[in-house]
Amino acid sequence: MLDALRFEWKRLTTLRSTYWLIGMGLLVSTGVAVLVGVAARNEPVSTDIMWIALNGGAGFGLPFLAVFMAIIGIFACGHEYRHGTIQPTLTSLPQRNRLIIAKLAVVLSTTLVVTLVSMAVNLGVVYTVWGEAPGLFEDPLGTSLIGYVVYMLLYVLVGFGLGLLFRGVPSALVVIFLMPLIIENMIAGLSTIPQLDWLVPVVKFLPFSDGARLLELSAPDFGPGTPDYDLFSRWAAGGVFALFAALILASAWTLFKKRDA
Amino acid sequence: MISAKGLYKRYRKTVAVDHLSFDVRPGVVTGFLGPNGSGKSTTMRLMLGLDHGEGETLFDGQRFGTIRRPMNEVGALLEAKPFHPTRSARNHLRMLAAGNRIADSRVDEVMEFVGLGDVKRKKPKGYSLGMAQRLGLAQALLGDPRTLLLDEPTNGLDPHGIHWMRDVLKTLASEGRTIFVSSHLLSEMQLMADELVVIGRGTMIFNGDVDTFVREFTQSQVVVRGPDTASLAEALKAEGAEVIPEADALVVSGLEIGKVGHLAFTSGVELHELSTRRASLEEAFMSATGASEQFVAQTPVAAAGGNPDA
Repeated sequence: MLDALRFEWKRLTTLRSTYWLIGMGLLVSTGVAVLVGVAARNEPVSTDIMWIALNGGAGFGLPFLAVFMAIIGIFACGHEYRHGTIQPTLTSLPQRNRLIIAKLAVVLSTTLVVTLVSMAVNLGVVYTVWGEAPGLFEDPLGTSLIGYVVYMLLYVLVGFGLGLLFRGVPSALVVIFLMPLIIENMIAGLSTIPQLDWLVPVVKFLPFSDGARLLELSAPDFGPGTPDYDLFSRWAAGGVFALFAALILASAWTLFKKRDA
Repeated sequence: MISAKGLYKRYRKTVAVDHLSFDVRPGVVTGFLGPNGSGKSTTMRLMLGLDHGEGETLFDGQRFGTIRRPMNEVGALLEAKPFHPTRSARNHLRMLAAGNRIADSRVDEVMEFVGLGDVKRKKPKGYSLGMAQRLGLAQALLGDPRTLLLDEPTNGLDPHGIHWMRDVLKTLASEGRTIFVSSHLLSEMQLMADELVVIGRGTMIFNGDVDTFVREFTQSQVVVRGPDTASLAEALKAEGAEVIPEADALVVSGLEIGKVGHLAFTSGVELHELSTRRASLEEAFMSATGASEQFVAQTPVAAAGGNPDA
C-alpha cells in the first residue's frame, strides 16, 4: 500500500495543474476574507462576518475552494484515461483496489490540509482586522466550520467518483457543476409552482443542496409563500450527500474493476 | 519464461482472442506476428490483466496481478505516447518508479541509455513518435526486469533507431531475459526474432522457430543457371517440377536441389549455378496469414487513360 501511496503522491505533485488549482482556490478564498475585512473593518465582528470570512464565502453557493479541489479529484482518475496513462499506471500498480484506495487517500488528505490551511489563513485575516475571533468554537459557527470541512471532503469525493465513472474529465466537470448550479436550483424553483407541487418532497433529497446545508449557519428561510420542504437537519442532510457520494464512488469503483483499462 | 494458457477475449459478437496458448522462452527474442486486427495488442493486454477475459498468463510462475513490484519483473510497452502532456518525461518515469521502489538514479540511467538524457526534463508532448517509443522502452526497462513485452516498439523509429532497438533486444535476450515483441516490420523481425508466435483472427497459426515457420509456409525453390538450360527445363517438367524462366536462369519448384543437380548431370547440361532460394519471412507471413486477414484493401488499378507503364 505504501508503494501505491508513493506513486499517487508523485503523480499529484508532478502535475502543474495541482499547484495552480490549489493556489487559485486559496487565493479566491482568502480574497473573500480580505474583502469582508476591508469592508466591515469599522464594525464589531459578528458571527455572520466570521462565517463568511472563515469559509471564504462558501455559504453563498458553490464554495470556490471546493470547486478547485473537486477538479483535482476529477483529474485523479479522469486524466489517466484522457491521456492514456492508465496503461502504464496499471502495469506499475496492477492491484486496482490498492490504486483507488491510494488515490482516495492522497486526494482527500490533500483536500483536508488545503481546507484547514485556507481556514487558518482566513482566521489570520480576521485576527489582523478585528484582533479577535469570538465564538469560533461555539455553536453555530464551530459546527458550521466542521460541516464546511466535511462538505469539502464529500464534494471532492463526488468529483473523484465522477472522474472514475466517466473515465474522462469533461463529462465529470459538466455533472459536478451542472447539477448543483442548474438542475437542483431548477427543481427547487419548479416546486414552487402549484401545478408541480409533487416536486416538493423531492427537494429535501437533492444531494448537492443537502451537502450545502452542512456549512449553513442557520436553517434556510425561503420566505413567505414557499412550500414546506420539511428539510432534514444539518447532519441528516449531510448524510444524504454522503450517501450520494458513496453511490457514485461505489458504482465507479465496481465498474473500474470490471472494465478493460 | 512466459506461459500463456487459454487466452480468450470477446467483444460482443467478435472473438478477438480465441483460446491462445503459447510459451515464450528466456534467452531468445520471440516475435509476435499477425495481420492488423488479429488480436496481438489485445493478447498482450490480456496477459498483463489490463483487459478482462479468460485464460491465464504466468511470468516466471506468477500472475502479473499478484507481483508486488511488477516493474522489477515485467517491463511493458504497449501504447505510443501514454504520457501526461504537462509532466516532464523524467517525472513520468519517477512517478512509475515511486510505485516500485526504484531509485531516481535509475530513472536518469535509463533515460541516458535510450538516448533521451538531454531532453529528459522536457514534456513528452513535444516528442516525436520515435522519441516517445524510446521513452516507452525506458519505462519498460526501468525496473531492470527479466521479462519484456513490447508492442510495436520500432514504430516511428528511424533506421538507426530500428538498428539500435534490434541490438538492444538481442543483447537483453542474450543475458537470459524473456523478450516478447510484436512488429509489423517483417524484415526487421527476420533479423531480430529467433522464435515466433503467429496469430490470425485471434487464433494460433504458428508457434516455433523462424526457420521452421518459413519452411512450413513457403515452397523452397532451386535456381539453375547455365549457358543452355532449355533441355533441362523439359527434363524437369517431365519429373513434375514447376519451372519458371527468369532472365538467364530457371527457377524450379517441387523438386529438391539434389534431384535437380542429378537431372542436369544425367542430361549433360552445363551449369554455372545451382542454388536454393530461401523464401523470406514476409513471404511465409503472407502465405500463413492471407486467409485470416481481417481488413482487406483493394488492389490498386491504373487510372483510366493513364499510362500503365508510368
